[in-house]
Amino acid sequence: MALPLPPGLTPTEVAFLCEMEMVTVVPRQKLESLNLLAGATQALRPPHRVPLPLWLALLLKRQRRANILPPPWLLPASLDKILKHETEISTETFSPPPPHPYAVSILPSATDHISPPFLPSSTADSPPDYLPYHWLELGEILLDACSDDIPDPDRVRTLLRDLREVRMAKMRASTKDLEGGGISSLRGVGAMEVAEGREFMVGVMDGLRQLGASREAARREREEDEGGGAGQGDSEDEDMGLE
Amino acid sequence: MDISDILQDLNRDRDPFADDDYDDGRPSGQTDLQALTRAWINERAPQNSSHDLIERATNRIKAQIEKVEEMTGDMDPKTNFSLIIIQTEVERWKFIIRSILRARIAKIDKHTLYYLSTPELQTRLSETEIAYATRHQQLLHGHYLGSFLGSFPQQLQNLNDTAGGISMIGGPDEEGGVFVRSLGSHEIGGEGVVVRGRGRDGDGEVEVARGEVVVARWADVKEVVEKGEMELV
Repeated sequence: MALPLPPGLTPTEVAFLCEMEMVTVVPRQKLESLNLLAGATQALRPPHRVPLPLWLALLLKRQRRANILPPPWLLPASLDKILKHETEISTETFSPPPPHPYAVSILPSATDHISPPFLPSSTADSPPDYLPYHWLELGEILLDACSDDIPDPDRVRTLLRDLREVRMAKMRASTKDLEGGGISSLRGVGAMEVAEGREFMVGVMDGLRQLGASREAARREREEDEGGGAGQGDSEDEDMGLE
Repeated sequence: MDISDILQDLNRDRDPFADDDYDDGRPSGQTDLQALTRAWINERAPQNSSHDLIERATNRIKAQIEKVEEMTGDMDPKTNFSLIIIQTEVERWKFIIRSILRARIAKIDKHTLYYLSTPELQTRLSETEIAYATRHQQLLHGHYLGSFLGSFPQQLQNLNDTAGGISMIGGPDEEGGVFVRSLGSHEIGGEGVVVRGRGRDGDGEVEVARGEVVVARWADVKEVVEKGEMELV
């Protein structure tokens, strides 16, 4: 019964996770509110828009009971803009992720620690200029299930493929940062990209760590002898991750 | 942020993962789903995390299945579709729970003695998991004794020897690389989480902005993940 999978989510598990993202649907039939485990859903009354988790939206779509509104970032104009950003403005790093919709307040609140897929980053009123964490899976799923709801689906498909290629190159290039160890940032990376790259990157990291283990131990010993255990200025991870 | 936001904050559940969220009469299945999903992803990390929440989720599922059974009594074609939706959701929850438990068993199988070795690690396991691990180890030890260990001299028969400064008990690789996302912190001003990373040529503190994904060694981020300021992805 033990799970035979390696650590970390596999791509199929990432797709499952992505199905928890909220999307906006336009119902074509009435449906009363349902008391689901994750809380009650809103009653469906055409033509009022309702946010629903993707798995439910897909079920409704398949039975032709609803249409799915594509998120604003999945429109050709937005993708064009993001692709431009990826290829011309930040050629080394990924385009930035959408800003967190709930700021950290002084009082601890339930929204403080919410993260994708539970952030509303793909509903009809989400920001158009950022790729959310589940962009690739969500785009592919929507193109597959409801290409009739997406304007210009062929163009969207091409743009998604272009984005994927540009970002894959960046993902590969980021392995260079892993050499020295420490913390390396992948700001703006997508879930599927992490799932794909995980085994390779973790492998590279562990291999390099083992190769450099004696050097690291020697450095630590030397620093201890000098009395200062703190990091030295030559650390390459100090300029990373800082905004 | 205006006053209504603040009031709304006050009304919200203080700790989304607390046990007492049955009391206030509000359905907080959503927070449980979020907690469960996070637990699932975190569980796919190299080391076992502490165990709770599962019972609450299984109770919810049990109640939901009872409801489905009641609803199937009146076979109205209209409720039929609602039933499909409810059952699909139940299956999704069951999948997550199964996956969590199976990932835990895989880790116990791999490092049985390690998880049984200290009381601190034992508290991470549930009662049934401890029973499973103990039985697993008994069987394994019995098999080793029968097949080859029995013919060794007495002093070489231990499976948990620490002679020569090296422990025979293998644990998970604490230094392994993981992908983590910062969830934000309440400490000093910024929303970022400060992590101390150890590298080959130098150590350094890095502030990881909220929502940012980084690659790090598990040992470096373990503490902040357990504090809930970061999550694995």
